[in-house]
Formats: sequence, structure tokens, C-alpha cells
Amino acid sequence: MEVISNLGLGFAVALTLQNVVYCFIGVLLGTVIGVLPGIGPVTTVAMLLPISFTLQPESALILLAGIYYGAQYGGSTTAILVNIPGEASSVVTTIDGHQMALKGRAGPALGIAAIASFFAGCVSTLLIAFAAPPLAAIALQFGPAEYFSLMVCGLIAAVVLARGSLVKAIAMVVLGLLLGLVGTDVNSGARRFNFGMTGLADGIEFVALSMAIYGIAEVVYNLEKKLATSVVSDAVGRVWPSLVDLKYCAGSILRGTGLGAILGVLPGGGALLASFAAYTLEKNVAKPPRQFGHGDIRGVAAPEAANNAGAQTSFIPMLTLGIPGNPTMAMMIGALMVHGIAPGPRVMTDRPGLFWGLIASMWLGNLMLVILNLPMVGVWVRLLRVPYRLLFPAIIVFCCIGVYIINSKPFDAFVMAFFAVFGYVALKLDCEPAPLILGFVLGPMMEENLRRALLISRGDPMVFLQEPISLAFLLVAAGLLLVLAAPAIRVRREEALKE
Amino acid sequence: MKIRAPKDFWSGVMFCGFAAIAILAARGYSLGSAGKMGAGYFPLLLGIVLAAMGAILIARSVVVVDEPISPFNILPLVIITTAVCLFGLLIEPLGLVVSIAVLTGLSAWAGPQFRLLETVALAAVLIAFSIGVFVYALGLPLAIWPSL
Repeated sequence: MEVISNLGLGFAVALTLQNVVYCFIGVLLGTVIGVLPGIGPVTTVAMLLPISFTLQPESALILLAGIYYGAQYGGSTTAILVNIPGEASSVVTTIDGHQMALKGRAGPALGIAAIASFFAGCVSTLLIAFAAPPLAAIALQFGPAEYFSLMVCGLIAAVVLARGSLVKAIAMVVLGLLLGLVGTDVNSGARRFNFGMTGLADGIEFVALSMAIYGIAEVVYNLEKKLATSVVSDAVGRVWPSLVDLKYCAGSILRGTGLGAILGVLPGGGALLASFAAYTLEKNVAKPPRQFGHGDIRGVAAPEAANNAGAQTSFIPMLTLGIPGNPTMAMMIGALMVHGIAPGPRVMTDRPGLFWGLIASMWLGNLMLVILNLPMVGVWVRLLRVPYRLLFPAIIVFCCIGVYIINSKPFDAFVMAFFAVFGYVALKLDCEPAPLILGFVLGPMMEENLRRALLISRGDPMVFLQEPISLAFLLVAAGLLLVLAAPAIRVRREEALKE
Repeated sequence: MKIRAPKDFWSGVMFCGFAAIAILAARGYSLGSAGKMGAGYFPLLLGIVLAAMGAILIARSVVVVDEPISPFNILPLVIITTAVCLFGLLIEPLGLVVSIAVLTGLSAWAGPQFRLLETVALAAVLIAFSIGVFVYALGLPLAIWPSL
């Protein structure tokens, strides 16, 4: 069995003392920021990018990944205990989870959330181990035309599944692609869009852009909202759910895991969409359904399984194709590129230790999270008392130090300030920043593949329609756009995302 | 003609502005041909798509009705972005301690509930933590004190 020997290699990498420590730091930080409202996993991953550049690439990825899936655990804790979703992906958990807490069943709610997440984490780790190699093998056959169409398809899908207006999202993608082109053109050596500034010769620093939008701009945006502070009760009680509860939830956990794993792979998917979809599915499928909304334990189990499964399977397109499905994955790609590793199907064959080590660390991290979360739940709840007025200056300080240490270039702080203003205006105008980040990462790759594809076809754009795989990707992209343009579906999508 | 969806209108204007910059700047680079793309080819293509999206948004804003834009929180935005720029100017000549103190102070002051003593304590904690993590643990070559 190749998978077993691969996983063996992975555990050999993940179980080195250094990587165990980074995995632990990652999941610990993930849990903390999952609990703290007003700071999410994207912000934290952005803030830690500069630090990860000083580490080995294996450790860097293990650390960043730990934050991402760790936040799914932490977010559910506050959702259940105080009705505040620490993360967007635990919004649905508040519905039944907090009702359970009000009825004195906070313990079992937390317990089932951890168990469901752990089960989903194990299943999706195995899924990545089995699904990634064949996918990468297929992707290795792709030529530039296929790659270009795949990126178009991925970006369109990410836009379709995102919130808000479709036109705005497409415009943000295109703007992101343009920003990605700033700097020296690799082919001609021409300096593009630097407006006479030498600081822009190497392009816009990815970390400056992402921290500007997810760090600084979000802080300013949050300052105008009243972040609710809440009274926390420390009494949690027994966390292990009874056998009856477990049996009752088994189906929901399985369905949540399956649905979450599928939705996680899709671009634009990941944890958020998975949890919403799983809750909706449970409401329609589970019997008897009348309990939902009044503290049904299945309403906690299913979305928690789904958001963790989705968080993990969203690594599949990033690791095998080099295509990020969400901003966090875009940052992982950024981390890889800084270490000189070109993201794409070759990562698995060229750097097997990195690839399998990351996968093994996810399983390890999930185990740590169960241990971190169940017995220590009281500690995390106390974190909620940290007021935002202390938190936000810290975010800004770490963004500034972070942006400086990447290149030791004060200019990057000005770039960050500029995009902070832009990010704030965009948030005010309901322009989601996620598509911009995805476009930014893909910009240079897209141009390169377009250039090569057209060079091979001697300038004939029909090449994208003549290659069957490329055509298929473009048809999927067109189909998604058409489907979304149909008014009936648009209304349903808005309802589904609002719910 | 009345603007009924101000968010659409202004985002349309913003995208058209960026598109105009992209198209104007791309004209300065060699365009090439489809078979041999120059540095200006892809940016020009993107600029045109962006302009089209902006135009759609502007056109839509007179048809679709949407809520108004919530008031801009100008002062905190200005203070915080100024503080970020100031950090960039101060970090090399003055080192971590001074620049973090200035940055923390200004940022906290931008918030709705500013408390002086608390901010001083916060700055002290952040300075100690940053020096511990970045200078000692990660061994980055950052100046701690002003270089005289």
C-alpha cells in the first residue's frame, strides 16, 4: 500500500520534536483566536506569515495549517457557551448549541462538537491522502491551456460561492489579477505599474496586501461596530456526551463529514459554506426534525463535523493544483512561494516530506485539539473577557512589525497603509476582499499560462475550446455563471447564505 | 436619473478609476500580439474587463434599489494609517521600543474608549513580547533602541 508508506514518511516528518512544537503552537493559537471575537483565522494566518518565513517550509506550513483548522474548534466553544460565534463558520452552531447551554447541556454540546470535529478531521485527512496523488497525477498532464482554463474556472467558482454581488466579486478578482502584475515582468523585464517607485520593482508584497485588508482595514471596520461583550458562566459540567447522545448523532456526524468534505474541495468553499449547508441538510433529512432550533444536539454535531472536514479538504486543490480556494489557502501558497517552492502538482513528487508531513500533522493537530479543548474549556472561556480595545492595537503592532521583517523595507509599511484605506472602502461598499486575494496570487501564473498557450497555438484563442479538458473547465465556469444569473436560483442562494 | 444604489455606484466608479489607471499605464508597455504577448497585453485585457464591470455597476445603480452607505469612520482610519506609515519611518532610525510605543499609543487613541494607563501598560507588554519573540526567539536583526 503506497498510502501507508507515504503516511509513514509523513509521520516521520510531523513527529520530529520541532514540528510537533509548531503544530502545537498552531492549534493553540488557532483555538485562542477562534475564541476571541473580532479576529479570525485569515487575519492570524496573515499576521504569522512573516514569522513562518523564518522557519523551515515544513514547519511553516504545519504552523499555518494548525491555525486554520484549530480556529474551527475554538469558534464553536464561544458559539455554544455565550452565543457569540468566534468564527464565521460557527455561526450555525450558535442556533442549537447555545440553546443546549441554556438548558444546562453545555458540556455535552462542547463534547459532541469536539468529537464530531475529530471524527471529521480523521476522515478528511485520510481522504486527502487517498485523493491527492491521483489528482496531482492528472494535473501533471495539463498544458498551459488547461491550466489557464482551470484558473478561470476556479476563480469563477470562488466568486459564485462567495457572498454578495457577482459583478463586484468579478471586478475584485480582476483588480486582484492586475495588482498581481505590478512589478517586473518576468518575460520582458519591463517594470509595470510601479509609477516611478523603486519600492514596487519586485511587485506588491503579498503580506502587506493581505495584512492591510484582513488586519488593519478590518480593525477599523470593527471599531465602528459594537462588539458585544457578554456575561460568561463558568459552569460547564460533564463534557462527555452520553451513549444515547452519540447514537443519536452518529448519522448527523457522518452526513456532516461527507457534505463538508465535498464542499471543502470546491473553490470558494471551505469551512463556512460547509457548516451552513450541513445544518440545512440536517433540518431536511434528520428525523424527527422538530427539535432543531431548540437545542437539538444534532444541530451541533453536523455543522461542526462539516466545518472541520471542509477546512481540511480545502487543502486538496491547493496542494495538488496550486489553486487556492479561499484566502487562507492563498496565504499558504504565498508561504510556499517565499520558500522557493512553486505550488502545483509537482510539490508532492518533489517535496514528499513537505506534502505528507503536512497531512500527518493535521491528524496529529486534531488529536491535540481534542485534548486542548475538552478539559481546558474553562480557560478559553475566560479569554472572552479580553476587551477589543486591548486586542486591536496589538493586531496593528504585529501587522507593522510583520510587514517590516519580511524584506526589511519600510516602504512596505506605506504599501500596507495604502491598501488598508482601499480595504476599508471596499468593505464599506460591500466588495468582498477574498476574490481580490485569490486573483492577486493567481495573476502572474495566469498571465504566464495564457502567454504560453497562445504562443503554442500561434495566437489562436480557439485553443482553449479545442483542448477537451480546457473546454470542460470553461463550460463549467460558464455554467456556474449562467446558473447564478437565473433569478430563481439567485434568490435561493441569497436565502441559503443569509440563513 | 437618480442613483438608487449608492454602494453599486461608488464601487463602479472605483473600479472604473482603477481600470483607467491600468489601461493608461498599459499603453506605455509593448502590446505585442496574441501569439507573442508583450508586457502590456494581459494588463490591457484585464483593464478592459474591469472597466466593463465598473460600467455595469454604475448602470445598475440607477435601476436597483439598495440601502445607503453607512457613514465613514474617517478619523480612526486616518489615525491608524498614519500610525502605520509613521512606524515605517521610525523603525530604522529609532528602533522597536520607540516605534511600538508610538504605534500602540496612536492606535489605541483611535478607538472609542481610550484609557491612558491601560494603553501605557499595553505598550509595555507589546514591546516586551515583540523583543522577546522577534529579536531573541527568532533572531531577527531589528534595532531595539535608537541608533545614535
